[in-house]
Amino acid sequence: MATNPLDRRYALLGAVLIAPTILIFSAVIIYPLVSAIYLSLFTIFTPTLRGQWVGLGNYAELMASNEFWRSLANTFIWTVFTLTLQIVLGIAVALMLHQNMVFRSLARSLILFPYFVSTVVAVLVWRWLFNDLYGILNYLALISGLLQRPLDWLGSMPNAMISIVLVGAWKYFPFVVIAVLARLQSIPDQLYEAAKMDGAGPIARFFDVTLPQLKEVLVVVILLRAIWDFKEFDLIYLLTGGGPVISTQTLPLMVYKEAFGLNDMGRASAIAVSMMLVMLVFMVLYLRSAGRSEREGAR
Amino acid sequence: MVTSTGPSRRIVLAGLGGAALAAPALTPASAQPVVLRWWSPQTAPAQREAYNFQIRTFQEANPGVTVNFEATSDEGYPAQMAAAFASGQVPNVVTHLPSFAVSQYWANNLLEPFNSVIDAIGPANFFEGANRIYEVAPGQFAGTGIGGSAANMMWLRQDLMREAGVTEVPRTWDQLRDACRRMQRGPVFGAPLPYARNSMTSLIFICFVHGAGGSIFTPDLQVNVENDAFRNALEFYKSMREFCPPGATNYSWGDSLTAFVSGATATGIYTGRVLANVATQNPRIASSVTCHMYPTISAATPHWTFNDFPSVMIPKGASNIEMTRRFAAHLFRADGYIRQLHAAPGHVLPVLRPIYESAEYQANPLIQANRPAVQLMSQAASAGHNLGWETTRHRPNVRAGQIVASHVFAEAVQRFVSNNEPIATVVSDVARRLEQLMRA
Amino acid sequence: MKMVRRVAFNLFAWSVVGLVAFPLIWMVITSVKPQFELFRIPPTFLPETVTFEHYWTLIYDTPFLKYMRNSLLIAFGTTLVVIVVATLGAHSLVRFRYPGRERLAQLVLFTYLLPSVVLVLPLYLLMVWVGIANSLFSLVVAYTTFALPYALWLLRSFMQGIPDDLEAAALVDGATRMEAFIDVILPQALPGIISTSLFTFILAWNEYLFALVLVNTDEARPLTTGVMNMLISSFNIEWSLLMAASVMMSLPLVIIFAFLSSYLTRGFGAGGVKG
Repeated sequence: MATNPLDRRYALLGAVLIAPTILIFSAVIIYPLVSAIYLSLFTIFTPTLRGQWVGLGNYAELMASNEFWRSLANTFIWTVFTLTLQIVLGIAVALMLHQNMVFRSLARSLILFPYFVSTVVAVLVWRWLFNDLYGILNYLALISGLLQRPLDWLGSMPNAMISIVLVGAWKYFPFVVIAVLARLQSIPDQLYEAAKMDGAGPIARFFDVTLPQLKEVLVVVILLRAIWDFKEFDLIYLLTGGGPVISTQTLPLMVYKEAFGLNDMGRASAIAVSMMLVMLVFMVLYLRSAGRSEREGAR
Repeated sequence: MVTSTGPSRRIVLAGLGGAALAAPALTPASAQPVVLRWWSPQTAPAQREAYNFQIRTFQEANPGVTVNFEATSDEGYPAQMAAAFASGQVPNVVTHLPSFAVSQYWANNLLEPFNSVIDAIGPANFFEGANRIYEVAPGQFAGTGIGGSAANMMWLRQDLMREAGVTEVPRTWDQLRDACRRMQRGPVFGAPLPYARNSMTSLIFICFVHGAGGSIFTPDLQVNVENDAFRNALEFYKSMREFCPPGATNYSWGDSLTAFVSGATATGIYTGRVLANVATQNPRIASSVTCHMYPTISAATPHWTFNDFPSVMIPKGASNIEMTRRFAAHLFRADGYIRQLHAAPGHVLPVLRPIYESAEYQANPLIQANRPAVQLMSQAASAGHNLGWETTRHRPNVRAGQIVASHVFAEAVQRFVSNNEPIATVVSDVARRLEQLMRA
Repeated sequence: MKMVRRVAFNLFAWSVVGLVAFPLIWMVITSVKPQFELFRIPPTFLPETVTFEHYWTLIYDTPFLKYMRNSLLIAFGTTLVVIVVATLGAHSLVRFRYPGRERLAQLVLFTYLLPSVVLVLPLYLLMVWVGIANSLFSLVVAYTTFALPYALWLLRSFMQGIPDDLEAAALVDGATRMEAFIDVILPQALPGIISTSLFTFILAWNEYLFALVLVNTDEARPLTTGVMNMLISSFNIEWSLLMAASVMMSLPLVIIFAFLSSYLTRGFGAGGVKG
């Protein structure tokens, strides 16, 4: 209760401290957001920004367009698979790096590295690995007899989707490693001792002790990564450009194409707004269920 | 439910538009040195060197003027141009964008008239018809070409042909397929055609439609795809798949070129850039590379050359318009222009006859060593067309840029070749989407 | 027996590490091969001739170093702005009580949802309006759109992990709120601040889309778009140069990481990432 003068002064100070944040948010986020919603009600020729009011026409068109639904589905497929891989790999590797191994800090640095290199670098390196003629992956697969002829990693389905999911997982799983590793280090040893006394094996110990301890951090990591993956543009745009046909075209790529390829800023904004709505719904559902289970866990 | 304010077009985000217009007022023009911005997507190091020379000579001739070169890219320019136009902060001169970009921007009232620049260069110096594609209304020019290109030349490896016992240069598609089949062995593939979702695939496909005797639109721009020529082009494209490397599903110009130059394919499809790249990257094969017109469906069907007419234009609202025009004309001054053309001999071909015929231009060692090829490409380019202007009978199509960017042709190729969808549905989808794009 | 298991585990663990790191190792190897060796079929594993010509080419014949300088300025600038603003903001969100505080915290997460593609054009118009378009500063401003919500969110969780009593004790000793913030909270939050800085730096260093659309001059172009623009074009794909460029693009991160890596996990450990 901000009733005494001191509290009121504190509230003022608090407001002053948060003011720069709010200012920046309004200028570079709220304003573009509002203009995006506004633009989505017009058909707009991007270079001139001239357009005609169409109300919800853009949205109606989207709902009827196969491309939109396909891109939405692609976005989900990409997000779910790459995120799952990131989490599973991240936990597994974190557990591994938590053990004693020779040159552990070097191993940690190497593992974290994919997260540090820029997407452009990651894409270039993988495109070079995937190269049909001079790529090392095809060559290794050919001499080991896995393949009869070079595989087309990025240009046919389902290879293209699998490839971007794999590269995405490779690029971003270290983020999970960092978070999980930090948490692992703070789990008290007594918990494991107690579980051992109860006769739990390593697998049971993981599920009974480690996983519940990791839960809190995983809830946040999954949320952050899910949003980031859902929005991913650079990696997919640079790896496949959305092809073949539109098999790997996710919503951000569709927005880009509509806005700058087809010069229809209105429709592009409508897609972006719909995309945000989808994310918002999932985020609310997710936070609610995470919050509920947390409260139950505490009980 | 959906209300409309009527047919009157209006500026959305009017506040911003106004602000953008007001922005130049913040910088008083008189007191400050004149700065011109020049954009181009053609930025190979050798080309940059030539540009720097042109900029230097211009700055020396016009003290107090600075020209900044700013690189854009083939894939990135639509977004960057859109941002520039939308904000009103436009570059002064934009070069090397395809001619259909010029017609599109002109149609939306975004360009300065170009007549005075052409007059300064001298209309009589241009090759016959070189500026027709930029003549948006009788006597009114929206831009001009800075060069010509023949994008779909067929490049052959004579050594591989001999080994495979191919004696004749393929003239028809059947002969081409036969040659590819025989030359494809070991690590060498027959051809580097692109099957990707990008502009190269779309453009190559347009070439094939014309190679089958068809056109995408009728001369008065009605969609014209539900016919044999269009279907034959698709079938031909599919039949070539077995001669192309597996990764061709992601090929763009650079990959396709590199595949031929590195020796991974026996035939190539590209501009004269092949000459320069072979000379620097794989000189071993230089003596056995030859250049020809790309085959068509039958000997009776004439060749059709894809020329995207690398352009020069001046965006509306460019600052210091007089100086800008002078600079645009300066780009064609013999010394600098020849340097620019020599940066990639045979890739960008001269549009000015006196330049082409000059001893300085012909003196380049690569041009001398490949005189027949350069001559062939020059002829082909001067008779070339593109989607914005399919034949001399066609009206200019200001939607060509959007059509290419929509990937409608590339997707048709992928759906028919890779996904094996029935040709009827592919073709009718193309027709439907083209109608939409033309209406939009 | 225990020895065998240890060796087996180490072998296994290191092969996993090797697998993850392989693309990067391959990048380094490729970057020192001469161009003609790249197109050898079958590919060579170790370079037959080691050459550093690609590195010299990049440094002396291209604007690579200029792009590098731009990237460094942008990344450091963004990190500085974002961390200062976010630290103050997070402190306010965690330690002060005023109406709308909870809503604000949720809004932070919501802004994180905005896809960059939709912000690009309005942002560009904004930059032009303010008069900073096509400059390094415009990218710093643009990068705050995604870096600030992210940093604020991370820092808020770190700061929630710092016990209230510490600040209370300082206040009892007569410190003002700001003194308590500087003397007590900041040192406690430092590992969190450092690791958040690192994450922010990575985001800013690696961004591609904004840089593609917002900036068009070499004076302000960062490495990501600069390298792609310069080396992948319709007339050539110079793989050897690309790989050399990739190696050099990664070097600053390697250096920074070498100094600060311990903070990464410590930061997370100290605060624990909380919801």
